[in-house]
Amino acid sequence: MPDHIRSAGTDWQPVAQQGAFRQIMNCFAYPGRLGQLATEAKHGLPLLLATLVDRSNRLADPHRLLDDDEHRRLGANSGTPEMAQFVVQPGVLPPDFQPILGSLENPEQGATLIVVAERLGTGASLHLSGPGIDGTATVAVQGVDPVWWQKREQWNAGFPLGVDMIVVAERQVLALPRTTRIDLKGAN
Amino acid sequence: MNPNYELPLDEADYSFGFLDEFAKREVRRTILKAIAIPGYQTPYASREMPMGRGFGTGGLQLTLSLIGQDDTLKVIDQGSDDSVNAVNLRHFVELTCPGVDTTERTSEATLIQSRHRIPEVELSESQVLILQVPYPDPLVVIEPSEAKRKVMHGEGDYSRLLTKLYEDIVQFDEITISHRYPTRINGHYVIDPSPIPRYDIPRLHRSKALVLLGAGREKKIYAVPPYTVAAPLAFDDVPFRTEDFSDEHGARRTCGRCGADDSFLDELIADDGSKVWQCSDSDYCNQRLAEPSHEVSA
Repeated sequence: MPDHIRSAGTDWQPVAQQGAFRQIMNCFAYPGRLGQLATEAKHGLPLLLATLVDRSNRLADPHRLLDDDEHRRLGANSGTPEMAQFVVQPGVLPPDFQPILGSLENPEQGATLIVVAERLGTGASLHLSGPGIDGTATVAVQGVDPVWWQKREQWNAGFPLGVDMIVVAERQVLALPRTTRIDLKGAN
Repeated sequence: MNPNYELPLDEADYSFGFLDEFAKREVRRTILKAIAIPGYQTPYASREMPMGRGFGTGGLQLTLSLIGQDDTLKVIDQGSDDSVNAVNLRHFVELTCPGVDTTERTSEATLIQSRHRIPEVELSESQVLILQVPYPDPLVVIEPSEAKRKVMHGEGDYSRLLTKLYEDIVQFDEITISHRYPTRINGHYVIDPSPIPRYDIPRLHRSKALVLLGAGREKKIYAVPPYTVAAPLAFDDVPFRTEDFSDEHGARRTCGRCGADDSFLDELIADDGSKVWQCSDSDYCNQRLAEPSHEVSA
């Protein structure tokens, strides 16, 4: 991976986080649609994390995509990918961990995986269906190892347990909640 | 109310949206999980609001966590923009969210907070409907233990709830639930869709707009995502049916004000003691009256 991803000062302001949340929520409500994170930084990841994560969460960033200063500002407790609520991973590397899937009584405790891709809108096509999608949707993702989609299918095999994924590339964001089915046969 | 007490507005210095940023972030995280697990009552730390629980604090916390300065908010109570709950909630948002527009027109709103109705006009993808929920769990009538209810929900075990509906049929020849009709979302979780009438249940099914439900007292948030199956519980031989607005001759009753024959009607008692019917959705009624081509046939 290149240098650490850096935040902009505006990423820490409530108004930026409100706007970012609405984009992210829209992505969760309509999986397959791309959201835009309005940030002055080169990358949307810091704003995404600042919007969702704080000192009441456990965040894993095993590949150090953000430097120590950024982590201090987020204030989240650090953890391993096996025990964190939020896991940040580079998409080019296949997943090498088993995230929390939640329990039958508390499925919301399943982890949120934040996968940093290279580009959204170009690359390998994913064919999606499920809640929030009127029929089927297609989205192109570049820079995510295909093993991610196979692992995701295994992790989400037993609804309501599972993981929710947010793919972020540059300032664009894509959400794949656990209910979204990815047709792997049609993928290229 | 103490007439001598004035809220020191200039010193109050509320943060935008009243809630602090940690509270908003927690509500926001909960919303995302609620959308990801359609119909699941996601627990959250419901904050104290400057109004009693049971007055829409769950819906209000959702609204305040979502709203930004480019939003237009509509607040309704039983379909009306002018009833006391709606007026007070709207006033509170205007006070704590400077720059936010409010409206009574459904089509202009980006956020709609509602108590017990879904607007007549079909919502669009650019709108979010927020419903205030008093009792989030449909299983509470048959199982007092929340720990056991959570297991039943997780397993999708609604046999006892169906038995309850069946007992209704045995006693009364039909399911007697008038509002809060248990509805299964995406084939798994059954929700209490808040006290909306049966008439509104089909509008949850494959809605274009995201529907968020917030129960402040019970500390739960759940969601019906867009384009998601919402099926009211029923039996093959006793299908679900909505309210019947037929009069004694079998004709559909109409609104006494605008003449609409396609809206949910409230029954009112007129000054002379007779019954009249009127649209429950006041904006829908007003818009019909404002149409230039409109002629009241009554």
